[in-house]
Amino acid sequence: MKAVAIALLSAAALGAAPSYDIADILTASTAADTRAKDWKPGQGLALEVSGMDWTADGRLALCIRKGEVWLLDGVLAPRPDKVGFKLFASGLHEPLGLLRDGKDLLVTQRTETTRLRDTDGDGVADEYLTAGAGWNVSGAYHGYAYGPKRDGRGDLWVTLNVDMGDHSDNKAPWRGWGGIIGKDGRFVPMAAGMRSPCGLGTNREGDMFCVDQQGTWIPTTPIYHLRKGAFFLNPEGIASEKLPDSPLRLSAKIPEKRPYPEAVRALPEMRPPAVWMPYNKMGRSGTDLVTCDAGGKFGPFDGQMFVAEFTDAKISRVFMEKVGGEYQGACFPFVGGFASGIVRLTFAPDGSLMVGMTSRGWSSLGTKAYGLQRLRYNGNVPFAIKEMRARPDGFELVFTKPVDRARAADVASYRMSSYTLLYSGAYGSDEILTAPNPVTSAVVAADGLSVRLKVGALRELHIHELHADGVKSEAGEPLDHADAYYTLNRIPQN
Amino acid sequence: MRAAALILLAVASASAAPVVTGFERFHAAAPTAEGGRLLYNELGCVNCHGGDTGLPAQRGPALATVSQRAQGEWLRKFIADPQSVHPGAVMPQVLTKADERTLVAIEHYLASLGPRTKVKPADIRHVNASRGSGLYHSLGCVACHAPDKAFVPDGGAPKDSEFTHASVPFPDLRAKYSLESLSAFLQDPLKVRPDGRMPRIAMENQDAIDIAGHLLAFEGSDGRVGPWVTPATVDRELAITGRKAVIAARCAACHELPKDAAATPVALGRKEGGCLDSAHAKGPRYALTDAQRSSLKLFLAARDKAADPKLAADLTLQALNCVACHERDGKGGPDGARKAFFEGDHNLGDTGRYPPPLTGVGGKLRPEWLAKVLDGENRVRPYLRTRMPVYGKATDGLARLLGVADARPALKFEGGDDSAGRKLLGTEGGAGCITCHRWGDRPSLGIQGPDISNMAARLQEGWLRDYLINPAGYRPGTLMPSFWPGGKSFNPAILGGDTDRQIAAIFKFAESANGEPEGFPKNRNGEFEIVPKDRPVVQRAFMEDVGVRAILVGFPTGVHLAYDGEKGGPARAWKGRFFDAYLTWFSRFPIFEKPLGAQVVNWPKSSGRFLGYRLDSKGNPTFIAEQAGVRVEETFEGVGEGLRRTVVWKPTPDFAPVIHHPAGLEFAENPGSAAGRRVFTYLWK
Repeated sequence: MKAVAIALLSAAALGAAPSYDIADILTASTAADTRAKDWKPGQGLALEVSGMDWTADGRLALCIRKGEVWLLDGVLAPRPDKVGFKLFASGLHEPLGLLRDGKDLLVTQRTETTRLRDTDGDGVADEYLTAGAGWNVSGAYHGYAYGPKRDGRGDLWVTLNVDMGDHSDNKAPWRGWGGIIGKDGRFVPMAAGMRSPCGLGTNREGDMFCVDQQGTWIPTTPIYHLRKGAFFLNPEGIASEKLPDSPLRLSAKIPEKRPYPEAVRALPEMRPPAVWMPYNKMGRSGTDLVTCDAGGKFGPFDGQMFVAEFTDAKISRVFMEKVGGEYQGACFPFVGGFASGIVRLTFAPDGSLMVGMTSRGWSSLGTKAYGLQRLRYNGNVPFAIKEMRARPDGFELVFTKPVDRARAADVASYRMSSYTLLYSGAYGSDEILTAPNPVTSAVVAADGLSVRLKVGALRELHIHELHADGVKSEAGEPLDHADAYYTLNRIPQN
Repeated sequence: MRAAALILLAVASASAAPVVTGFERFHAAAPTAEGGRLLYNELGCVNCHGGDTGLPAQRGPALATVSQRAQGEWLRKFIADPQSVHPGAVMPQVLTKADERTLVAIEHYLASLGPRTKVKPADIRHVNASRGSGLYHSLGCVACHAPDKAFVPDGGAPKDSEFTHASVPFPDLRAKYSLESLSAFLQDPLKVRPDGRMPRIAMENQDAIDIAGHLLAFEGSDGRVGPWVTPATVDRELAITGRKAVIAARCAACHELPKDAAATPVALGRKEGGCLDSAHAKGPRYALTDAQRSSLKLFLAARDKAADPKLAADLTLQALNCVACHERDGKGGPDGARKAFFEGDHNLGDTGRYPPPLTGVGGKLRPEWLAKVLDGENRVRPYLRTRMPVYGKATDGLARLLGVADARPALKFEGGDDSAGRKLLGTEGGAGCITCHRWGDRPSLGIQGPDISNMAARLQEGWLRDYLINPAGYRPGTLMPSFWPGGKSFNPAILGGDTDRQIAAIFKFAESANGEPEGFPKNRNGEFEIVPKDRPVVQRAFMEDVGVRAILVGFPTGVHLAYDGEKGGPARAWKGRFFDAYLTWFSRFPIFEKPLGAQVVNWPKSSGRFLGYRLDSKGNPTFIAEQAGVRVEETFEGVGEGLRRTVVWKPTPDFAPVIHHPAGLEFAENPGSAAGRRVFTYLWK
């Protein structure tokens, strides 16, 4: 075990006590264990975490990119220096998701979802049964498969990248689609238009969400609400809509090179992401999302989502609400400084957050080759914008602690602007059509925990960026992060 | 379709205004003296009236070879009225009296300048116009010229509204050129246009022929080569008459001609009328637009004021249309329509497709490096399909000029610990630059970004430091993250986390050329060979000739199996070494694996539905598949020099599983085999 590292939050730098700390379970001792010239298979464990869940007996099961599943004991000890590692399964083909199903584990490899069973009770899998298959794999490096994750109805969801590079074949079945595993184990396509839909997860209501990554046709990291018949952004794999199982047929041409709101209006099947995470401001490549249900043990954010990010090795926070029957909401910076590119998140039974990482193949500010860390809440309530809700004439901000009333009631404490993105086949997009949104009044609630902002020039389908730098808590603390980004797909009627 | 597009261009305008794209794109909207300066140079005003524009000389094409290049009939029409056969040409109408006799006389004079002996053009046997179209639309030609509407780039056809600046117009190419003369021109335009306004893109002879075939609207792949250009047989009397007309028209002001046809300068007395007046009868006639005329007047009012280096540099880049491909200070670069034609390496995002911005380029590149870029020597972005052309003497001194125009505060790294640089560049505790950047001839570990081993020869220190702190500030759209965000180092453990010292160390390491950054694999193939020792080893992978659902089983007995998880049956087996898993386990770009051993045998394709496998206590696999709805299990075990295969199913009278065997291998069915359980042994001798 290495020393317990303390993450310095921005609040900490400004004098408030930190609210979270990062503990190492196992990170690469050199930054490139798996590439070191003296590294050999079987010598040391290259913990390139690509999937995590908890076993029935409280061990952390994780799969790694090399194709193994490990069971870890003792990761929740106050000082995790006696973690036990046991190899449960091996020989898999780059598994990128793991889920417990009763006594079994499900992993999704490149070509199938596989049920791993230990039938003789020796603690090692002896059955590797195909639990779900039916998508094409061309051999292109980018043809990744993710999942499974179970939604509130019990369906298991899997998502599939579009191909890139040699052997690419996005016309073959279901690249860029997400779907569920049918009763007979066949892939049942549900939603199309994704590029690299790396992270699946449900909210408290059991609805399934997925975080994709900025790239061709994806102007910045989006979070989709997955459901039958939805088309999101990337049309590279749309040819599969013609297959008999397709739940979707686009009724108009792809509206290329148009501002995103125009594109959505031109293509009826296109569903806006519930949340856009602006490029650089909120990281670059979203990789996973998980909903907090820790009963306060992870701070005042129960019911919210936490989103993993690869390039900046950080975690963001997302608040969603339903407006007009559809999800939309805001994202907020949360905690950075992790050891490697984050790929997987899962909450532990004790309310801490397990963070699984690998940065092989892409650059990350987390320069270690891989790792497993644990983010713990220490009970110091951060002063944060907990929720940002859309109102017919502005926004309502809910804070984690009472605000300094005078500052919070001063419109000069806030600055807002809105913008959208260009929908095109290019790689990413700049922010376009940016315009200021005047904050004309700020009314603090009697309990000091919320503020009603009246904001001018609201625009549907635009991202509304807030800077509340002037707001302080009653005790004079600055916000942990003063910026927030609300994806205003719809302005509520009341 | 292609022919139609070309004809459309040719008839665009009978009395078109000259097109100087740099002017039309950046100055036409609001007349300024700067725009006027560009026109004064590019329309050749300076060639008669003198003055120093600060811009590279704009000269007419070589006339000594024009008779070998252009058809006589076209040439006569062009001389009589350039806009009639080349709308948008910058050459003014210079003949006051364009009767047929004068035109023929000029044609003979020009033919008399050519080589005495007739050169028979090289025999072109074949032209592939569709290939030429592909080259024309990807090498960079369409950055300046109009793309062909019939050509649809991968990303879809651009909309007309996305063309936001004028294309450099063509003459009626089929009337002017032969296939031979156009392809010779395309291969080295600088021979004809030493002023670099049509630069040279490096290409093979056949590339030029195919592009010419496309431009001349040949069929897709055509053995026909069309008419030659045949120069007139010179009549001496006519040639002398022609020379007089050429002297009178002052052709030598712009064109290279013998001394006996020299043109004298024309003093510039007025700032109105003359060439600026579209109705004037004497001298060259330009059909100027109002914006062009106003800009020229503004410039003439302040003609004696020299251009400062920044203005001279900016206008030079516009005159040569460098800004067709490159953005500078937020202006220029391909417009929305032309972007569709820029191709490259998808993995590098926009930076993998579009040429780099030239904002501050004189403060970025070392002048000696930049000069070699302009000379066509130094190229660092092999993934761009567009090719940076060469402009000949037009860019003499441009590197120096840009260096002055874009100068930034000098920074010289002091000291610099090159061993720390090796670490910082590498993946073992460093920033992992080699994850995305090539280092000399070593490919990077991931995406193949530009080679950075040359950074000390290429980049200025101050720029490098500022760039590393904020890459996106210098290259919008770059995938490169900052490892020194806001000037704060990602790694406080190296050189005390001092940003300047760390960057200096990187620079010094590159300068020292003393080895390579940490983390490049030695030849990894061979280091990840799986050697089954006590138990069988199962590993799924992509395997050549088996497919993407290959389940590889290595047996300690030395014969190994690849089971096809797609078709639900054994696919191949081999003897000797098993396989090396490096690419499957650790490359971002996995490939189809090959057996390491020999005596490879293949089974015919099966047609079962694969359901999974289980491992027994010794690690032997039993594969489960359905055949015609019946569950069939087959177990493989290693035996000395071979494999034992046991096929088990629940016997019924109307079902027997299909059991294939590999060709070219001895096998035997074991005694005791029966319906419901058949056992085979395969032996490698």
